[in-house]
Amino acid sequence: MKPSKTLIDGSGPDAGDTLTAGRPAPANPTTDKAALRRRRRVELTRPWLLLAPALIVLAGLLLWPLIQVGKLSLQDYEVKFGGGVGTFTGFDHYADLLTSGLLWKTVLPNTVFFAVACVGLTIALGTLVALLLNRLGTTWRLICSIAILAAWAMPAVTGTYVWIWLFQPQDGLFSQLAGAAGLIDPATTNWFTERLPFYAIATVNVVHHGFPFVAITVLAGLLTIPKELYEAGMLDGANAWQRFWKITVPTIKPVFLVVTILSTIWDFKVFTQIFVMPGGNGSNPDVYNLGVFSYIEAFAKNDYGAGSAAAVLLTLLLLAITIVYIRTLFRQGEEDL
Amino acid sequence: MKRRVIAAGIALTLGLTATACGEGSGDEESATDGKGKTLTVWIMEGTNPDARPFFKEAAAAFKKKTGADIKVEYQQWATGQKKFTTAIEGGADQVPDVAEVGTTWVPQFAETGALVDVTGKVKESGLGDDLVEGLKDAGTLDGKQYGMPWYAGVRSIVYRKDLFEKHDIKPPTNWKELTAAARTLKEKEPDKVAFPVAGGAEMFATAFIWGAGGELATEKGGKWKSAINSPKSVEGIEYYTGLATKEKLSPAKVNTWTEKEVGDAWNKGQISMAIGGNWTPKAIVEANPDLKGKLGAIPIPGKDGGMSRSFLGGSYLSTFNTENKDLAWEFVKLLTTGEFAAKWAEQTNYFPGQNSELEKVAAKKDPLVEPFAKQMLEAGATVPKTKAYGEIQASQVVPGMIQSILSGKASVQEAADKAAKDMDAIFAKDE
Repeated sequence: MKPSKTLIDGSGPDAGDTLTAGRPAPANPTTDKAALRRRRRVELTRPWLLLAPALIVLAGLLLWPLIQVGKLSLQDYEVKFGGGVGTFTGFDHYADLLTSGLLWKTVLPNTVFFAVACVGLTIALGTLVALLLNRLGTTWRLICSIAILAAWAMPAVTGTYVWIWLFQPQDGLFSQLAGAAGLIDPATTNWFTERLPFYAIATVNVVHHGFPFVAITVLAGLLTIPKELYEAGMLDGANAWQRFWKITVPTIKPVFLVVTILSTIWDFKVFTQIFVMPGGNGSNPDVYNLGVFSYIEAFAKNDYGAGSAAAVLLTLLLLAITIVYIRTLFRQGEEDL
Repeated sequence: MKRRVIAAGIALTLGLTATACGEGSGDEESATDGKGKTLTVWIMEGTNPDARPFFKEAAAAFKKKTGADIKVEYQQWATGQKKFTTAIEGGADQVPDVAEVGTTWVPQFAETGALVDVTGKVKESGLGDDLVEGLKDAGTLDGKQYGMPWYAGVRSIVYRKDLFEKHDIKPPTNWKELTAAARTLKEKEPDKVAFPVAGGAEMFATAFIWGAGGELATEKGGKWKSAINSPKSVEGIEYYTGLATKEKLSPAKVNTWTEKEVGDAWNKGQISMAIGGNWTPKAIVEANPDLKGKLGAIPIPGKDGGMSRSFLGGSYLSTFNTENKDLAWEFVKLLTTGEFAAKWAEQTNYFPGQNSELEKVAAKKDPLVEPFAKQMLEAGATVPKTKAYGEIQASQVVPGMIQSILSGKASVQEAADKAAKDMDAIFAKDE
């Protein structure tokens, strides 16, 4: 019993001796071997055992639905009392989806350009706010943090209604301002029916809802940068712009990568903010994005297969983007080593 | 005369329930003896401003009658269909025993096999002949009736009586007069919407499609085909959208309005005349007491006089295929007939699903009720009775068509052709 313990935790006073002297344990070599095997087994299984709870939850919550959606996308599915019936149709739904003009002309461009605009603006605004917070004293930092956290905490639906209200044609604040400035004729302008103004409003909404997370995360990163770096930079005559790009950005690049990945994922799959807007629930096909498109196919037309195919496409798209980001992140890590 | 009919009806119902208890197998007996059983009931939220006291009372009456308890779960209209679909997938354990089902949902749910065909039971109870025809028809597929009509509503025209009197406008009796009235209203009351052409309100538009003699879709040999781009339908769409695009009687902000926004605008006093449901006048006055006594209603005028048909919508109380279905039917009967049916109609401002009850409502000669009752009895219309049409509605085909015309993205014919194509694609998929 004793030697095996020594081997496992290596903490015995004579542990080093036992191993380096190559002196076989006098009593019985078989116990030694068994101990070694056991140690290996423990080494192999322990991490998995520790990971198991998380993995089981993830598999239940993520993997299983993912597999189901994948399966559904290859079927024509019909809801029946007590359990639906699926007929396999191969890749028909994907063929229909990828040959549809709506996807290439409306759905994908809307999704991609909207996401790019939102991610870019969210990161830029979030970083600026983080820089501001970093310079503020404790009291003002607290006040500003609470203010931006309120924007973050607002449920997406509520926030969207506020923006709809502000941009309400004719009666909304912005419509009246634009009307007073002579930019539009409020009686004949409805911003929600056209693609560009519709998405401009949606962008404002999503950026407003998304920047607090970026600001808080980047601020956390900023607080870890040693002051000495900036002092050194200042001694070398670097101005604020240069200090930001040469010191701040490289030092907390991983933070930027993470918030970019997360924002990208969120902004690609925006659904609520579009669906709740006037015309966003399917009555204006010009403003479909992948999320709404998939929802309409699956839950309005009850064409679960086609809806799932669109959802799988969105997942693959996000997976591809995430892989690129994560590889950049790891390469970054290796360079640092 | 009427009283005698009702008395006979009550006697008949009582007699039948009595015999139902006594007759036949032991099964039947246990069906109405619900001691220790609980029925799960799904009711849509919002129809009755406060449905809780109503159901408390109904549950007490039911407990007294059968010994069974009632558990009411309130559902949202916006998410209801999805919730039902999920429960239906789950089978008998997850569906309610009794549920309020919107008439346009009946075909979809019935097709899955979840709803109980109650044709025989309705006949047995002698209730069949008294049901409002259009409403009964909406929940009957291939001769099988999937529940009892509970309440119904219909849209007509609601207008500001005070403004009509002030500017000497007569309630319109045909489309030409409707346009003329709206023109005057726009001229004299420029800060109000003369006649909202709401892009998101499907049932505003359909009245004019039907009014011109058009149809949404037609059935031939069990197959549905869109008719929304037929010359007559297009004429109706052209007239309706023209009120906004040509006559400018409805400003651009209305292009994306749904009925909810029209209601909000009424409450703010921003509307002169609009299509509105029979439940709206009371709601408007409640929200804006200034308008008390200033509202009037007329059936939607037909193109050259008469009436345009208007969507007759409503709810069924249906029983699901659970082990309690016989007991569930008793509860459905309790709610859809007699005292509770009348009370529900009164509390909700909707119409009951039985002719005898509806006639009682019409007989009250309330000027804000009678025009709707007339519309419902004489010019109600239903949308195509197929699962596919539910999907067409959910994918917003008609509002999409109207909005594309209002925003100038398509001509009336182009938009109608596209809507027809979209409809046919969904019909074809479901065949």
